[in-house]
Amino acid sequence: MSLSGQFRPVWFASLALATALLAGCSSSSEKSTSASADKPAELSGPLEVVAFKGGYGIDQYEKAAKEFGEKHPGLEIKVAGDPRVWEQLRPRLVAGNPPDLMFPGWDMDVWGLIEEEQLKPLDEALDQPAADGTGTWRDTFDPNVLKLGQKDGKTYLLPYYVMTYGWWHDPGLFAKNGWKVPATYPELLTLCEKIKAKGVAPITYQGQYPYYMIEGMLLPWAASIGGIAAVNAAQNLEPGAWKSPAMLQAATMIDDLNKKGYLQAGAVGMSHTESQTQFLNGKAAMIPCGSWLQSEMEKSIPKGVKLEFFLPPTVPSGVGDPTAVLIGVEPWMVPTDAKNPTAAIELFRYMTSLPKAKEFTETKGTLMAIKGSDEVKLPEVLVKPAAAMKSANTLWSNQFRSWYKAAEKDIEGALTSLLNGQITPAEFTERCEAAAEKTRNDKSIAKYKVS
Amino acid sequence: MKRAGFIASFLAPAVLLYAALVVYPLIQALTFSTYQWRGVSAKRKFVGLENFQTLARDNDFIRSVTNNLGLLAGAGIVVVAVSLIVAHLTAGPGRSAKLLRGFSLVPQMVSLVAVAVLWQFIFNPEGLLNATLRGIGLGTWTRTWLGDPRFALGSVGVAFAWYAVGFYALLFGAGLRNIPAEVTEAAALDGSKGWHQFANITWPMLWSVKRTAITYLVINVMNTFALVFLMTRGGPDRASEVMLTYLYEQAFQNSKFGYATAVAVGNFAVAMLLSLGILFFLRKDPTSSRRSA
Repeated sequence: MSLSGQFRPVWFASLALATALLAGCSSSSEKSTSASADKPAELSGPLEVVAFKGGYGIDQYEKAAKEFGEKHPGLEIKVAGDPRVWEQLRPRLVAGNPPDLMFPGWDMDVWGLIEEEQLKPLDEALDQPAADGTGTWRDTFDPNVLKLGQKDGKTYLLPYYVMTYGWWHDPGLFAKNGWKVPATYPELLTLCEKIKAKGVAPITYQGQYPYYMIEGMLLPWAASIGGIAAVNAAQNLEPGAWKSPAMLQAATMIDDLNKKGYLQAGAVGMSHTESQTQFLNGKAAMIPCGSWLQSEMEKSIPKGVKLEFFLPPTVPSGVGDPTAVLIGVEPWMVPTDAKNPTAAIELFRYMTSLPKAKEFTETKGTLMAIKGSDEVKLPEVLVKPAAAMKSANTLWSNQFRSWYKAAEKDIEGALTSLLNGQITPAEFTERCEAAAEKTRNDKSIAKYKVS
Repeated sequence: MKRAGFIASFLAPAVLLYAALVVYPLIQALTFSTYQWRGVSAKRKFVGLENFQTLARDNDFIRSVTNNLGLLAGAGIVVVAVSLIVAHLTAGPGRSAKLLRGFSLVPQMVSLVAVAVLWQFIFNPEGLLNATLRGIGLGTWTRTWLGDPRFALGSVGVAFAWYAVGFYALLFGAGLRNIPAEVTEAAALDGSKGWHQFANITWPMLWSVKRTAITYLVINVMNTFALVFLMTRGGPDRASEVMLTYLYEQAFQNSKFGYATAVAVGNFAVAMLLSLGILFFLRKDPTSSRRSA
């Protein structure tokens, strides 16, 4: 019962303005970049790292910073993290006082940062030798992943861990019932009928966050039907791409699953944790989710339940690559106003060195963007995602969601209405197309292309 | 003259504080709403009234205003009615009345976040409400309360009412105790009791409390954020979107801080107009007019 809510935006605005004014007054003469040296100058001074503190914590970054600091005693490294770190970073970026190296987490508008010239292009550093001295730093990254942080040929965002998107099941439950992981959509339909007959919901989903379904069903199926070009065209806002026959068929497939009662009743109103708990408790047999599922739900996994990844069932009549894997990254970056950018880059070069990347894979149970980092004893939950990534002929990402947030929100709303039976698949794709067109015609929104 | 200076010196601290903490940020907000600003750098572009022109044509914003008004009409009436009943029940000196008074205030002591989580559990498809309905043989009445566009806003309204009733019951309770005993006794002697007494004596005499309570309720409902954000995130498909969740989306998801500030100004205008309307509507003290007649 407080009135403060009314004034919150006002407060924020005035705070931001105040910080902006302060920024104007402070001197920016401290910037020192010594990138020109053939023999790099010894790194020194304060080096501030601010990172998103999610399921993987920040202990590995702290450890890497400590090791790096021992090699460069002139540096005073400070590592800080927060689960909502983007909120702390925004005012600092506005004030021109950002950290030197940052991992601002999934809710930072990183493309907005690029538009506003708040990030340093890192290509010069990428073309320098890798941490172990062989080849360039650029060559140590998977190029399919590295390109996700590029705009107009410049690299602003560097990948670290890589997430794969797909579906999950409990192999124990499947074996007990004689169910087989469905490789194709027709197999999925047959399987769902069997699961339903057992009184279990075949599929549940994170209804309050429809992008799980967009990335777990709609886009992979559109790619399977019309090839990756169909999805790229949609991401590139090409006229008609969001209501293409491939997109319409993919939407119809979701609608069919829903109408046949294969999607868990009520999931449309569930949060991610609610639906994931339903899955873990055996109320539903399958769920679309990224490879972070295990680390996110660690504490709620009942004894004896195992999680195993599989790719979304493909459409046999489609032209798409059945090995295609949808991936995502949460990037690291160096702000333009960083006071010690050279040291920041060198620290991140160290963090992405092969031994450190392998260490992260082993301790945190995630795949990394660094080539060869999966050549360790992988945690059980990672075996399938790693194998899928390794044998993929196509690695792609849904960048639309971070490029065009308003359109994404419209499409998510339309998907919810489709699942609530309020609109038909054709009306759904019409609404998607309308959202894309609105973005296309809005000159204030920067446009991007899948590269 | 000396006296004026003396008075001014006493007023100055309050006026200065008010200017610094209320007036200045408001002016700032108005200024910000005329800019295009991403909120990730100090760079911004003056766009005049463009944000407001967009706002007037923005169907999603209009929908959120309608939802706020719907919430006010639905939950507001429930809150006033229930809190009046609770106030009457707890007006007596008895122990049970005291106990009930205590109970009705419990939701107020719980953080709004906890309230949202609690009601999310109740409205969960596998939650308490559906289980109860099934238990009493009303299995066909079960719904996906928060995922169904027909029920999402109403469900949030129920949670809001549950939370708010205690506070308004307290306000009305204080109002009831302020009605002089001789007035109600005289009315009773004249044969007025029950609903007749409430409609003709109690309700008019609650005038000043009513005015405060309803104005406060309007502001409260117009500023709903946490409940909606945590229970439905404005969904499904904006069925429960309110002005402040829309503002949040524009600012923090879409990086349109200028536009979001325009939404804030819109929110402020709606709340202000409604509050002024209520103050105007309830401007006359019905008891004072009777006295002068």
